[in-house]
Amino acid sequence: MKQRYGPQGCYLLKINSRSDATGADEQMPDPWSQYLHKTSIHNPELYEESAVNNAVENDVGAVEDGFDSAARDDMSESHPLQLDQPTETCYPGNNRSQSVDMTRPQKQSSVTPATPRWTCLTLNDHDRIRQFLQEFTFRGLLPHIEKNIRQLNDQLVSRKGLSRSLFSATKKLFGGGKVPEKSIADLKNTAGLLYPSEAPELQIRKMADLCFLVQHYELAYNCYHTAKKDFLSDQAMLYAAGSLEMAAVSAFLQSGAPRPYPAHYMETAIQTYRDVCKNMLLAERCCLLSAEISKSQAKYSEAATLLIKMTSEDCDLRSALLLEQAAHCFINMRTPMVRKFAFHMILAGHRFSKAGQKRHALRCYCQALQVYKGKCWTLAEDHINFTIGRQSFTLRQPENAVAAFRHILINDSKQSAVQQAAFLREYLYVYKSMSQLSGETSLPQLPLPCLHSSQTRVFFGHERRLAEGEKQAATHVTLDQEYDRDLSQLWRELEEQVVPAVNRGTVPVTFQPSQCCLNSQTDNLRYPLAVVEEPIIVEVVFRNPLKVPLVLSALSLLWKFTLKDFSGPQGGTIGETITNEKEAASSKDNAALNDIMDTQVIPEFTVSPEETKVARLKLLPRKTGELHVLGVVYNLDTTDVGSSEDSPASELMCVRGQQNLEIQGPRLNMTKEEKTSVSYGPDRRLDPIITPPMPLLEVFFINFPTGLLCGEIRKAWVEFVNVSAVPLTGLRVASTHPEFFTFGSATSDLTPVTPTAAEHCSAYKTLATPPSVAAVALVSPAAFGVTGGDRPAVTEIPLSRGVLGPGEALQIPLWLRGPDQEGVHEINFLFYYESTEKTAKLSHRVLRHTAFICASRSLSVRATASRSNTLQGGEREQRGTEEKNSSMLVFVDVENINTSEAGVREFHIVQVSSSSRQWKLHQCINPAGDKGENSKLANRERGKLCFRATRCRTEEGGTAATSGAIEKYTFADLNLGNEQIVSSTTPCADFFFRRSLPSEPRRGGVSTGSANQMRRHSLTPHNANEDGVTSIIRKCSEVELDIIVLWKAYVVEDNKQLILEGQLHVALQTIGKEVCSLSQKEETQEMVLLKFKPDVPPPISKPSLEQLSHLIKTCLHYPESYDHPFPLKSLCMVPVTLTLSNCSLAQVDIIIDLRHKTTSPESLEVHGSFTWLGQTQYKLQLQAQEVYRLSLKACFFQAGVYNLGTPRVFAKLAQTSAMCETSQQSAMPALIIINGV
Amino acid sequence: MAVCIAVIAKENYPLYIRSVPTQGELKFHYTVHTSLDVVEEKISGVGKALADQRELYLGLLYPTEDYKVYGYVTNSKVKFVIVVDSSNTSLRDNEIRSMFRKLHNSFTDVMCNPFYNPGDQIQSKAFDSIVSAMMVQAC
Repeated sequence: MKQRYGPQGCYLLKINSRSDATGADEQMPDPWSQYLHKTSIHNPELYEESAVNNAVENDVGAVEDGFDSAARDDMSESHPLQLDQPTETCYPGNNRSQSVDMTRPQKQSSVTPATPRWTCLTLNDHDRIRQFLQEFTFRGLLPHIEKNIRQLNDQLVSRKGLSRSLFSATKKLFGGGKVPEKSIADLKNTAGLLYPSEAPELQIRKMADLCFLVQHYELAYNCYHTAKKDFLSDQAMLYAAGSLEMAAVSAFLQSGAPRPYPAHYMETAIQTYRDVCKNMLLAERCCLLSAEISKSQAKYSEAATLLIKMTSEDCDLRSALLLEQAAHCFINMRTPMVRKFAFHMILAGHRFSKAGQKRHALRCYCQALQVYKGKCWTLAEDHINFTIGRQSFTLRQPENAVAAFRHILINDSKQSAVQQAAFLREYLYVYKSMSQLSGETSLPQLPLPCLHSSQTRVFFGHERRLAEGEKQAATHVTLDQEYDRDLSQLWRELEEQVVPAVNRGTVPVTFQPSQCCLNSQTDNLRYPLAVVEEPIIVEVVFRNPLKVPLVLSALSLLWKFTLKDFSGPQGGTIGETITNEKEAASSKDNAALNDIMDTQVIPEFTVSPEETKVARLKLLPRKTGELHVLGVVYNLDTTDVGSSEDSPASELMCVRGQQNLEIQGPRLNMTKEEKTSVSYGPDRRLDPIITPPMPLLEVFFINFPTGLLCGEIRKAWVEFVNVSAVPLTGLRVASTHPEFFTFGSATSDLTPVTPTAAEHCSAYKTLATPPSVAAVALVSPAAFGVTGGDRPAVTEIPLSRGVLGPGEALQIPLWLRGPDQEGVHEINFLFYYESTEKTAKLSHRVLRHTAFICASRSLSVRATASRSNTLQGGEREQRGTEEKNSSMLVFVDVENINTSEAGVREFHIVQVSSSSRQWKLHQCINPAGDKGENSKLANRERGKLCFRATRCRTEEGGTAATSGAIEKYTFADLNLGNEQIVSSTTPCADFFFRRSLPSEPRRGGVSTGSANQMRRHSLTPHNANEDGVTSIIRKCSEVELDIIVLWKAYVVEDNKQLILEGQLHVALQTIGKEVCSLSQKEETQEMVLLKFKPDVPPPISKPSLEQLSHLIKTCLHYPESYDHPFPLKSLCMVPVTLTLSNCSLAQVDIIIDLRHKTTSPESLEVHGSFTWLGQTQYKLQLQAQEVYRLSLKACFFQAGVYNLGTPRVFAKLAQTSAMCETSQQSAMPALIIINGV
Repeated sequence: MAVCIAVIAKENYPLYIRSVPTQGELKFHYTVHTSLDVVEEKISGVGKALADQRELYLGLLYPTEDYKVYGYVTNSKVKFVIVVDSSNTSLRDNEIRSMFRKLHNSFTDVMCNPFYNPGDQIQSKAFDSIVSAMMVQAC
């Protein structure tokens, strides 16, 4: 060998000296490690390539060496390690075969796929190899190159001596044949021009390459430049382009460059490669080089344009790579062009996917997604997500695919319906295959349709039938009702009224208002209570965000249930926890758990495009315990209307999944911490506690009207049915309008008359009596359930034996009275009941009913009371003074204000009754014949009735009023027809006691009056005396008389005449003041000025003059006409009696002045003709309610008509010295006729 | 007159895009999106010193075959883009300018709403009506 190649060319290298590889080879340094990328280790193919690349590059010592493409073509066939790698480098010279030979085993060892490399080499081997390489380079390679360069240089210089001219001349001479030949044969393929290897141009090129190899760039550039010129002049474009390229590279590599980087060289080279030589491979190589150079010079945009220019239709993979590189250029720019980056990334991804490089494609799309994620470029984002989903799926990454698809579907996508349907199909398909792959038991969470958890409503109880024949069930609560905060507050208040009434006035600590329907606005802090064997309905709100319909099938609830027996002591025993997740996962019929919890399955539920729809899912608990509703489970399906028929397709596109119902409670805002932080309370809507059985009440109304005349009395029936298996007790009802209905008093006999039999009877109890003096009855309000001054809001409903057994029904009559105000009235009933056995969990239950009553106008009653001035004649002597004093005239003015002429024909006033503690109606003063006429009132007619009222005899003045609560009311009935309605019984008296009190407090009423006085006492003690005076004064003008007008209306309805009955109440309070049954429309509250200064206390203590003028009632008694013979006797003396009666309860000082007023001259003319004789001024003192008669004498001078009503009466209370006397209301003109005979 | 009106946030994501419903929405999204590059170029082209008294109206960004794209940048770098049918010759620069001014005023009103979260999608009815008025006028 040494003889053959010389001692310099040979070297003996000993390697692979390790015998067993099992030794401690771990600590062996891996010389390749620093050159190999970590990532490539995972990828065997890549690893091989890079390993080879690195090996080659390492050997050469330059990143990209300039290799001659022509030479490469020769070499590539023979090279044993040749791979289809454009960047692979070979050695341009044959003369270095030994180096190739020597390095071969080395390479092979690195190529071996076993990851631990160099296992056969010992450390000595390493050193030896290193030494060999050094020896090789210094002794063999470099001298060889130097020698070559020197030779070539000499050649060139010597040729230069002969010079170009000769060369070109010879060329012209000999080459004359060559050029035309080329033009004929290779005109198109100029690159095909071949030089012989010893051609001077190639020699130059070779020298340039060698210079380049030894990093002698300056010289290399010059040589390349010359070579380029030569090649160009020869039109050898391929060679020229190669030289150009290399010239540019060497110019770039020249440090401290004396000349700027010739970018146009590269451009020309690329252009030449591409256009002239049609050699894309070389063009791309050149382009990549150029781009790298541009990048290292931070000319990213140039690099990017270069790269993009090189993309072409024909090779996807190449274009993809170039685009990706370009994208990276964009992002690396000084101001990063993010959108361009994303755009080109997507283009690259697209090309990658076309080239079948899915992993790369996915990577590109993911990078692009980073730009668009969360931004609102929805269309772009959707596209990226969709592609990612697809690619991930084909790459068997179903989780990512699902996530990507989910993203498309959840957001409000703006895609068209067709597109969305495609997305959905794809999604379901992916989902399906994923779930098949994983095969896990727990159901996946589905993103569609959107579930509005917070809007979930929970309803406890049965679905109720509302009407059953003529029976009308209590409305109670249904899911169809909208939640109304005010309304629920109202029910709550009603319930809070009932509960203390049951529990002797106290609300138990555990009181919790019953809530049958829970939603986002109700108080969900506590665990709701549900009763075993009663369904729980959960209303779930689905929204379909897509433009395609979604079909959910086999929709049911997911729950978890903990068995618990509450009957045991202390909260009961906790049993096992059961869930239906497994059963729900298989969409088969899950009857296994039905003995614990009956779960309703909705077979099919369609949500139309962009629709929000509610699904009601029912659970029926069979055992007691704690229930947690976890979510819903369903099959998600798309409907293609056409393809829904063929089952295999739809079976394919159907995925079973679940969605959890997670409800966040309301935000807490009570304490300071809660206010400053964001914390939410619990929401226990979906976690009901199933309690032991409770009674369940159903209430039906029979003949319940919808429209009533104001004040109309109607009898209806109510039926209570206990539909549970547990007895029921303590039935009560509370209402917002207690004056609207009554169940009758305890005294009235509750004969169970069937509703049909009682249909045409009067609601009232009647007696046949001719009209006469009033029948009187005395009734205690306690009998009608009225205990205090308040109206009873809670009524107890009597049950037989106090218990309503399971399945039992009770029918009782119910009287209704139309509200006094016209219009539509909403009347709420709250039925309260409890179980016979006290369970801790649920103390009571309630049933709600809302009735709407339309009240139309009937009669308007106005009543006035006035003091009767005349003393009764005849029997007054027997009655005594007291009685005479206390009579009163009551005028009742009745007007028909009904406007519907067709409906109501006429009203008859049947009876007028009174009810009072002190007064009673005594007699009707209207003439007997007139009564019938007056009592019939057609439309807009009006009639007036006059009655005399007297003070009750049984009552001893004010003593009864103060005697306490057991005071009794006197009912006096004055019937105008032939039937007397007993007003002191049900229902008339019931409604009387339930009447709504006038808005202003009843003056002089025992409780309010005394309360007023008490208040004033405490305020101003020194005024006490005057206050007493005031009340005395006030009382004398006060009455407390309630008039009940009972009427019948003749109504034509459906060609049938109906008789409706009713009653109206009028409360008379003050003499002379008109009171109307219709409380006047409240005048629109005038704006009250805000006052910042305390009001001056109103001088209430001063009784008004008007009140004071009612202290004394005066009456003159005299003969109406008096015959006197004036010719015989010029003076006529007539005896006149002046009766003074004290209306007040105190001593009154009176001054009577008989003198005529001398104010006006006319009065003189009128009155001057007569005069009072005797004492003309009296001073008297009258005891309380005393009647005093004063005999006077009037003296007349001639015949005529005279007015005797001249005496003026002044009065003042005896004990008040400060007050001056007040003039009393003068009596009517009292005319006397003096006839001259 | 406008076929598409878009409001783009400082961070280059759309706050509001509304286009004529008949044509492809995607195309307008693309057009608006592309215009952002031009807008950016124009903004960066102006020197920093001039940035204060910079004209907000950017003028015609670029014409495509069917549309003309106009841009406007507020001082807070919120971009308004109006795409106009290029067949519509009645619209002059002045009209476009006034449209932008109107849009800007309305946008300011939206921003003044204390319940509006800066950066959220614009869902104001008043803004909507202004925009639809601009889009309807032409048709």
